[in-house]
Amino acid sequence: MQNLLKLFNKAGDEGETMKSTYQKIIFALMLCILSFVTILQFRNVVEDYSFVSLKNIEDLQTAINQEREGIKDLKELITSNQARLEEYNSALRAEGSIQDVLKSEIDNMKLISGFQDVEGPGITIILQDSDRELYEGEDPNDLVIHDGDILIILNSLKVAGAEAIAINGQRVLNTSEIKCTGPTITINNHTYGQPFIIKAIGDPETLDAAIKAPGSYAEYLREVYGLKVESYVSPLMNITRYKGSVNMKNITAKEGD
Amino acid sequence: MLLAIIGLMMGVFLGLYLPITYPATYSLYISVGILAAIDSVFGAIRSVLEDRFNTEIFVSGFFGNAILAGFLAYIGDRLGVPLYYAAIFAFGGRLFQNFAIIRRYLLERLRSKKVS
Repeated sequence: MQNLLKLFNKAGDEGETMKSTYQKIIFALMLCILSFVTILQFRNVVEDYSFVSLKNIEDLQTAINQEREGIKDLKELITSNQARLEEYNSALRAEGSIQDVLKSEIDNMKLISGFQDVEGPGITIILQDSDRELYEGEDPNDLVIHDGDILIILNSLKVAGAEAIAINGQRVLNTSEIKCTGPTITINNHTYGQPFIIKAIGDPETLDAAIKAPGSYAEYLREVYGLKVESYVSPLMNITRYKGSVNMKNITAKEGD
Repeated sequence: MLLAIIGLMMGVFLGLYLPITYPATYSLYISVGILAAIDSVFGAIRSVLEDRFNTEIFVSGFFGNAILAGFLAYIGDRLGVPLYYAAIFAFGGRLFQNFAIIRRYLLERLRSKKVS
């Protein structure tokens, strides 16, 4: 090291250039700035550890939030499963059989999934094609209720908290299709022409608002296209169960759940 | 030489004890700028050994290269193209080249001194 220093000094002394103190001072100043910024950078990088772009941070935050949601759901699942286990155990202790508990559970499942006749307050919606005259050059499709219209209204009913829905007497299951078949619509493999009568059980006021509110899709159908959309609130209505059978080919229960 | 070392030390002390921070977003740009500055210093050492040292060229290159490199990195970030690679390759490559030349000069001097 000493040797090298000497060599540098020699170079400085021998050279024609690096002679003046001015140049040396400038050089030292530059080195000073360089080391200053380098050390600053060291400190900064150590503090933050690595270069992370804003987008990365956002992605990570959403990922963390999703994981947290997942954890919350899992915890809820644990508590509910524990409650169920407790129920089974108490039933076993009380009667020596868990049949009753299982039966009530099956009934509950049937109620939820649509295999049980249900009743409650709700709303009836009648959708009919318009009978107004076509404007010149207007597409006749504008006057017809389409499968898409039904689907969107169905969804807005679900948004409004409908608990059971039937279309022309066909209970809407989670697998129920709503298919366009010309001027008719096929639901649960049964084909119906208009009028389409949708019954939904839920909070009648909310459901009615979902149909009548300005800006809602039903309102749009009624006001813009002139289709007939009527809704009636009733304090008690029946919705029959799904009468067909459900054949699942592809799903199997996951082990360990 | 002594002055240079004093300058280096002073910079280290200032960097360690001055409470200056900047947003971490700029860290990449400053890193690239530092690389350019190191390249300038190596170039200066080489030119000293070659007796071609010029203060104006050194100072302008020191700041100009650093700012250009940082700016390039920034533009690259904005455009979505990692343009700072250009600075890294150019300055990094030249840095090693300069170092190799400096080494050769020093070793030659060492050898000639031994012989004489």
